[in-house]
Amino acid sequence: MGGMQRLKSYLWRYWKRYLIGVLCLAVTATLIMVVPWWIRAAVRTIEQGGPIEDVVFYAMMIIVAAVAQGLVRTFSRFLIFNAGRDIEYDLRNDLFAHLQKLPLSFYHSYRTGDLMSRVINDISSVRMLLGPGVLNLINAPLYYLFAVTLMFTMDARMTLVVILVYPMMAWAFRNFRGKIQQVSLKVQQQMSALSSHVQENLSGMHVVKAYGREQSQTHRFVELNEEYQRRNMDMAQLRGLIGPFMQGISGITVLIVIWYGGMRVISGDLMIADVVAFIAYLNILAWPTAAFGWMLSLLARGRASMERLEEIFKAEPEIASPPLAHSVPDSQGGLEFRDVWFTYDSKDNGRAVLKNISFDLPRGHKLGIVGRTGAGKSTLVQLIPRLYDVSSGEIRIGGRDIRTLSLSELRRFVGYVPQDPFLFSASLRSNLAFGNDEASDEEMQHAVRVASLDNEVGIFTQGLDTVVGERGIALSGGQKQRATLGRALVFNSPILILDDCLSSVDAQTENEILRALRDTLKEKTCIIISHRISAVREADNILVLDEGEVVEKGNHQELLRKGGIYADLFQLQQLSEELDRI
Amino acid sequence: MNAESHQEEIFGKAYDLELVRRLWRFIVPYRALFGFSLMLLPLQQIFGLAQPIIMKVAIDRYIAGANLWGLGVMGTLFAVVLVGEVVTYYFQYYFTMLVAQKALADLRVAIFSHVQSLPMSAFDRNPVGRLMTRMTTDVEVLQEMFAAGVMTLVSDMIMLVWIVAIMLYLDVRLALISLALIPLMVLAINFFRIKARLTYRLIRERIARVNAYLGEAIPGMSVIQLFVREEKSYREFEGLNSSHRDANQLSNMYEASLYSMVEVAGSVSVALLLWYGGGEVLHGIIGIGTLVAFKEYIHRFFIPMRDFSTKYAVMQSAMSAAERIFHLLDTPTVIASPPRPFVARPFRGEVAFNDVWFGYREGDSVLKGVSFRIEPGEKVAVVGATGGGKTTIIKLLSRFYDIQRGSVMVSGVDVRNWDLQALRRHIGVVLQDVFLFSGDILWNLSLGDQSVSVERMEQAASYSNAERFIRRLPGEFRAQVRERGSNFSTGQRQLLALARVLVFEPEILVLDEATSSVDTETELLIQDALVKVMKDRTCLVIAHRLSTIRHADRIIVLHKGEVREIGSHAELLEKRGIYYRLYQLQYEREESRVDTTVPGLKFQG
Repeated sequence: MGGMQRLKSYLWRYWKRYLIGVLCLAVTATLIMVVPWWIRAAVRTIEQGGPIEDVVFYAMMIIVAAVAQGLVRTFSRFLIFNAGRDIEYDLRNDLFAHLQKLPLSFYHSYRTGDLMSRVINDISSVRMLLGPGVLNLINAPLYYLFAVTLMFTMDARMTLVVILVYPMMAWAFRNFRGKIQQVSLKVQQQMSALSSHVQENLSGMHVVKAYGREQSQTHRFVELNEEYQRRNMDMAQLRGLIGPFMQGISGITVLIVIWYGGMRVISGDLMIADVVAFIAYLNILAWPTAAFGWMLSLLARGRASMERLEEIFKAEPEIASPPLAHSVPDSQGGLEFRDVWFTYDSKDNGRAVLKNISFDLPRGHKLGIVGRTGAGKSTLVQLIPRLYDVSSGEIRIGGRDIRTLSLSELRRFVGYVPQDPFLFSASLRSNLAFGNDEASDEEMQHAVRVASLDNEVGIFTQGLDTVVGERGIALSGGQKQRATLGRALVFNSPILILDDCLSSVDAQTENEILRALRDTLKEKTCIIISHRISAVREADNILVLDEGEVVEKGNHQELLRKGGIYADLFQLQQLSEELDRI
Repeated sequence: MNAESHQEEIFGKAYDLELVRRLWRFIVPYRALFGFSLMLLPLQQIFGLAQPIIMKVAIDRYIAGANLWGLGVMGTLFAVVLVGEVVTYYFQYYFTMLVAQKALADLRVAIFSHVQSLPMSAFDRNPVGRLMTRMTTDVEVLQEMFAAGVMTLVSDMIMLVWIVAIMLYLDVRLALISLALIPLMVLAINFFRIKARLTYRLIRERIARVNAYLGEAIPGMSVIQLFVREEKSYREFEGLNSSHRDANQLSNMYEASLYSMVEVAGSVSVALLLWYGGGEVLHGIIGIGTLVAFKEYIHRFFIPMRDFSTKYAVMQSAMSAAERIFHLLDTPTVIASPPRPFVARPFRGEVAFNDVWFGYREGDSVLKGVSFRIEPGEKVAVVGATGGGKTTIIKLLSRFYDIQRGSVMVSGVDVRNWDLQALRRHIGVVLQDVFLFSGDILWNLSLGDQSVSVERMEQAASYSNAERFIRRLPGEFRAQVRERGSNFSTGQRQLLALARVLVFEPEILVLDEATSSVDTETELLIQDALVKVMKDRTCLVIAHRLSTIRHADRIIVLHKGEVREIGSHAELLEKRGIYYRLYQLQYEREESRVDTTVPGLKFQG
């Protein structure tokens, strides 16, 4: 489906309103067109010397038509513009809903700012197309059709002379548009040069400041800015022509009517009333003529924006529930990895990040994972709630491939605490209850205690209702991590994954948290990734990951005895703990 | 209108006036040009408004009098006036835009240079995108204001006065009849203006909320998905979205009514004109031509009224853009040179930290009473675990941040008493992640300083071992560097950074050694270059290489924000304290040629 096709389906939803709107526009146009007609009748009566009663009658007819026209016009504008707003609203909702379905990998290829600009700005310009765009698209031909027909019935010859100007205008306009596009491309190019300079300057600000290069940076900016200004003036030179040009066209038509029409009046062929009516019709046509260029750019922009939206709508929600989804089996079966391979498509040039991973994690058991940065630890656990799908092999829960399970049930089954804590600008309470709105006070208190948040809750003036995040009070890295841990605890899922989620928490607090967690997690199946051996040493099983492969496997004692990477790490760890205590 | 909204209205007026006043300051330098374009305005209007009078004369005198020659004269006159109108219209627009472009270019530069003087902490707080929007999108909105809004609002007002004057001149009674609906229109427009201001503000607030919501929901989408929050967050978004739509639909109602009302009033005025004027013509008081001219003036009178709502909307968004821009311009530049900076002459490359306390956030001290002294020409290595405050020391020395207590002295003068640029010129900084600008190699070596000769840069590159790889590039020293130096390896970037230091020849070198590994050959080149660059300079090095530490005269051990040990490598090893353990942890393996990249080790400071 192309962008415009999708747009049509939205228009279709509101076809009744658009239809009524269009009918109202037709009525409005008719009522507008009768006014010059009655003006003509009135002036004709005056020319012929009365009677004044007839003039008054025509004047009253004009007033009636005007009032009726005003009502219908208000209604039609209201109807069409509001339909545009409704479609804007629908589009924005639908796009947001679609974004919610897209996998994490999608968000690696689009920047937040880019996506936001599509949801806000592009939808806005589509709305301009649907409101004012549609209105003028219908109005303009209606006006031309009505006015030209009526002028024709008054006097065919003069109409022909007058409308000769319009093809000229269309021709001039076409040439003109090509030029404008060229210049506007140049303006845009310079704008992006300017933006890149600013972007680079801001990202490299520490170097700029360190070498005191502020002035030369500003100097460069001034140069780019001057060129931008010059190109903008080229644009202004062209765009400035449109208004006077259109005004000139309208003026010429009026001039023709007066001069040529005047000659015909003198020869007794026409009446002054006809000249007056002609001018009145031309006045009505002045606006759609002047708005012609504006309308075209509105259409082009709306169309381009719709295509940009379509690009997002077309992105596949690759990770979704299968058509016939199973429920998560409530058996004693735990978690299994069977020959799991994983490759990011875009990143790492197709290098496998996980190679042939197999393990069993029976229900209620704890698994520790250690390994150096980039070994694939986070990737491994992100496969479980299906943030990514395996490239080959299988992950099973209770004996069922997780890809056959209902996605939402699977995710309710797995609590994942990521390394990068992400909190929303909301109260601490709603952040904690993020996955579980029905959490009882008791559950909240419990999570606060286990995640060692009681201190903060005590200090914050509004306790749990304190707003945190970007628009609230800023939390330190450790506080954020503890809050995200609390959030997962309130979520209360059978499987809990801790992905090095206490890295910014100091060692002492971490130990307290781990101790508190031990009781809470007794029943739960757990995977703990940590750079601290102390966090994983009590796990039933520990995997050592290196370059995407399991290189060592066993419990703490077994691994120590083996004297490999794990034993090495343990030794270093003890040294650093010693250091920490100094 | 209740009292509260009335007050808001008054406040809003004063506030917008203040914004306009500040914008005006950017126009002042071009006031001559601006005045000229303003002078074209009445000229353009005279040309335009002469047309109905020409019509009147043509009809009443020549058409009614069957004078073909006279009609021809009037036709020619009309054509001349039309040309005059079109030409003045064009130049008026052109000069207005010229003033606008020049003033806005100045505004952009003002924002840019203000941003240059903001302290580093401002960049920690403001995302790059937000600052860019101020300089680009928001200024564009102001340009729209000049093109479509303010100027025409002013010219419209003048035009209306002209029309009323001409109508009164032509026929007082007819003028009063034609303009009978004006008081009504003024009331209607005023009502609209008040309502519109409130709804526009509502719309602005609500779209800002939609924006803010997206700004979190998009980066946090995986959290939403993981906690199966999609439905609830959809409902939240839908709520914000619908309240935005409702506000817009409310404003649609005002706009549609105003637009239609103006059109109705226009037609009704024409009807009144025919009614009353028709009688006057029949009584021979005026000619039909006068009637026609009046009809034309009424037409012209109502066009600006009809477009008022559009222009008003442009004005509103311009005001909010101006508000954001001035808010940024009002951000104080906390760190600035003192009015009368000290000049240390002669410059001695000595550095001292005296009981320095500093934290990025209040109550969270990263450095706790750090004191040390480095003599001119001395090489000092700083070691310690991650988070111990090593990088912070570098930032404080160049005064990227101001300390909370104590003093940082360079060449015997407190950094807060230095001229900022002069201070930073004496200190060469090489950070772990070398930042390269897009441009060519020469630009990156001189950072745009044109007083640096090409020979000097080539010498520096050759001395710092960067020349060899540069010579192999297409274009050699003119080779293009892509954004953020993405077409150079880490090692190459470090060599370039060292060459950059040699170009600027600072007396003090501050170096944060890179931890990432490079190939052996490059590593040797870097090591060799480092020795050369460090020679004859005061050096403060955050060391990760054992060889660098060994070359240092003294080692400062920074642990948990405090200086815990100071001494030479041998002395400190003997002490068997923190350094001894650090050495075991981080450097010993290097000595025994074992892979040093310990998996994810991290310590708390």
